[in-house]
Amino acid sequence: MRPLRPATLAVLAGLVLWAVAAHLLWTSTELPSLDLPQLDPDRYFTDSFLERSASYERFLAIVGVLASLVLVAVLAAYARRGQELARESAAGRVGTGMLLAMLGFALVWLAQAPFGVLSLWWERRYDVADESYPSYLLESFLGLGSQFIFLCAGIGIMMGLAGVMRRWWWLAAAPAFLALALLFAFLTPYLIPDNSPVRSPALQAEARALERIQGTDEARLRVQDADRFTDAPNALAAGFGPTSTVILWDTLLDDDFSRSEVRFVLAHEIAHLAHEDTLKRVGWLALFLVPALALTALLTRRRGGLAQPEAIPVAILVLVVLQLAATPLLNASSRRQEAAADWAALEATRNPTAARGLIRQLATKSLSDPDPPLWVEGIYGSHPTMIDRIAMAYAWEEGQR
Amino acid sequence: MDLTPKDERPVRLLLSDDLHRIRITVFFRLFLAIPLLIWLLVWAIGALFVAVANWVVTLIRGMSPASLHGFLARFVRYTTQVYAFVNLAAEPYPNFGGKPGYPVDVAIDPPARQNRWTVAFRFILAIPAFLLAGALVGNGLSEVLLSSSEEFASFTTVAVAAFLGWFYAMARGRMAHGLRDLIAYALSYAAQTWAYLLLVTDRYPSSDPLTAIGPLPTRTDPVRAEVTDELRRSRLTVFFRLVLAFPHLVWLTLWGIVALLVAIVNWLATLILGTSPQWAHRFLSRYVRYQFQVGAFLYLVGNPFPGFVGAPGQYPVELHVAERARQNRWTVLFRLVLAFPALLLSAVFGQILGFVALLGWFASLFTARMPLGLRNLGAYALRYHAQTYAYVFLVTGAYPYSGPCLERAPAPVPEVAAPPQPLA
Repeated sequence: MRPLRPATLAVLAGLVLWAVAAHLLWTSTELPSLDLPQLDPDRYFTDSFLERSASYERFLAIVGVLASLVLVAVLAAYARRGQELARESAAGRVGTGMLLAMLGFALVWLAQAPFGVLSLWWERRYDVADESYPSYLLESFLGLGSQFIFLCAGIGIMMGLAGVMRRWWWLAAAPAFLALALLFAFLTPYLIPDNSPVRSPALQAEARALERIQGTDEARLRVQDADRFTDAPNALAAGFGPTSTVILWDTLLDDDFSRSEVRFVLAHEIAHLAHEDTLKRVGWLALFLVPALALTALLTRRRGGLAQPEAIPVAILVLVVLQLAATPLLNASSRRQEAAADWAALEATRNPTAARGLIRQLATKSLSDPDPPLWVEGIYGSHPTMIDRIAMAYAWEEGQR
Repeated sequence: MDLTPKDERPVRLLLSDDLHRIRITVFFRLFLAIPLLIWLLVWAIGALFVAVANWVVTLIRGMSPASLHGFLARFVRYTTQVYAFVNLAAEPYPNFGGKPGYPVDVAIDPPARQNRWTVAFRFILAIPAFLLAGALVGNGLSEVLLSSSEEFASFTTVAVAAFLGWFYAMARGRMAHGLRDLIAYALSYAAQTWAYLLLVTDRYPSSDPLTAIGPLPTRTDPVRAEVTDELRRSRLTVFFRLVLAFPHLVWLTLWGIVALLVAIVNWLATLILGTSPQWAHRFLSRYVRYQFQVGAFLYLVGNPFPGFVGAPGQYPVELHVAERARQNRWTVLFRLVLAFPALLLSAVFGQILGFVALLGWFASLFTARMPLGLRNLGAYALRYHAQTYAYVFLVTGAYPYSGPCLERAPAPVPEVAAPPQPLA
């Protein structure tokens, strides 16, 4: 038997290291092994709602898959021919790389705009959205501009490092991007617009009590003005350490939700902070970034490596395809974190009735299919299905008996 | 700027003004113009009816009748003369009949055959030209578009130039050459637009400042623009031009903050030494050049994506900045005050650039080429902008030149000698 080459050994060692890190990260989110009861959605939702929500989500899921296929096709074509657009640049090596990256995503925007309009048409048909088509197109077009700023920063870092470190640029780029991701995660609460402190002393007091129960430090409690663009209720936990923040959408604080339901939401978001889920998401990003950047470095060698702008279209294709491929794994991790937060919220509030009531309302208001097909859940499910969340409330209740 | 051959336009501005102004008529210019403006209004009402008749006849015959053409040509000429007088581009009181021979006059060719399709849709076809003419001289439509922006920015180019020219003429008894030429250029474009709209000609107005007012002065300014752009435009980058420029705009803002700090240091240093420190001059020159290149890209004056460091010699719309030179300490001390008129005019040129980009965007998207006139107008506006910022930042002591001009490199001047080093 021939001895393994050092490069193969290094790859194998990397794979083992990756697997160990992924396992540790996965198990760091503690979730009791539950045997969730099989619930019949008909018991909790009307037939017409089930039919309507299934139809609504199925169409959007199909459009989403088609849009992803078009995305890959456009980027594949761009990887073949995109370098010809380098003639439109007088910006030197890195600047030309930035231009090629931006043009790649500009083409993607053009190809995906019809799918976006189609989705909006569907959402308007089901009264989930009321945004006008011109406004949607204008906003998404201008959104492209802010996306380009980050894209250029990323390309600048990668190409700058590739100019110095040649084929080993990814070894420095991965920590650089992770540092930026960490910084961004830290600052996120301050980047979310239209939010203000929660005025209600009662809600503040409840948040403090839930924090004590869950053993976490005091977080900022804010309310975001969201009813200008949606009726859907939502909440989120963002930041970590001194920037830990719980943000409730004002759509959650109307009269449709009872006090105990809002309390459950609060407990769920505080659980995310207690579990340090923001940092874990950065950890998952690290597990994705390191091999993805290494693979990008490998696959762009034929175009002279990432130091050359001609390699950028290929790099974009590789990164986007890898991101699409990693989405189910990242969603699985997210579902686990959400389930753990639900469980912690049940433990903290000890009110499964409120949890069930809340989840039913959330599903109804956002027209979310309570029991979607497995493929939809695998690709798009960042949260457990609504029916599983209701089942968890029952499981917790059962465990208390 | 590149020198293009002068085309013989059917509507041509003839400029023979000698810049001399009499202070008393300058001071009371607006009051003196009241009878002229009233008469212009009466004439405009008549011209409206004649224009409708002319449209019908030209649509049928394919050519304006000589009588109607003559009346409308005279109306265009009279309008130009009145505007020139009101806006200080000329000194003598104009004749009420629009007689030729005025120092800022318009020569109009006799009637010629016109394409009936362009006659039929003339009002629609004239809208882009009308918009630009509105920004330059004013016609109501552009003011409506601009009124949603800043208050003062809705002033037309000619109004601001005349406002500044009024002070200059009152102080010196002469009109500033650059301001006079700027007003003349705007009037030339407006005259072409009115002539086109009223079917006096079917030649679309040219916005090229290099061919608008006859022979141009050749200048050797320390900050000058050079255009080698070949007018081809990539439809893809044109469509996404605004969002592609976002990263540059962010970088420009960040760089601008540092440039402002450096400019303050430069101001103090120049006040003491009489000349900018080499490092500050180089840094601020780069910043001004980068700003110029980003502007050229954003406003479609140039095609390629510019670099992020403002390097010289890499962009087809290039800004040349001369080496540092000694500056008058008094003008350094009061630089911001002195720069105020230029900054005001620069803001108005910014409006013009907006129209250049808007019209050029559609033209480039459909034809994959930027119209020469718009490109040159954009380069002219950008050049003034760059000269203003170079003046404000003390990169140069030369005041920005507001008129269209031809440019050539100045003769090389010896570098400022370094102060003697103390002996050890």
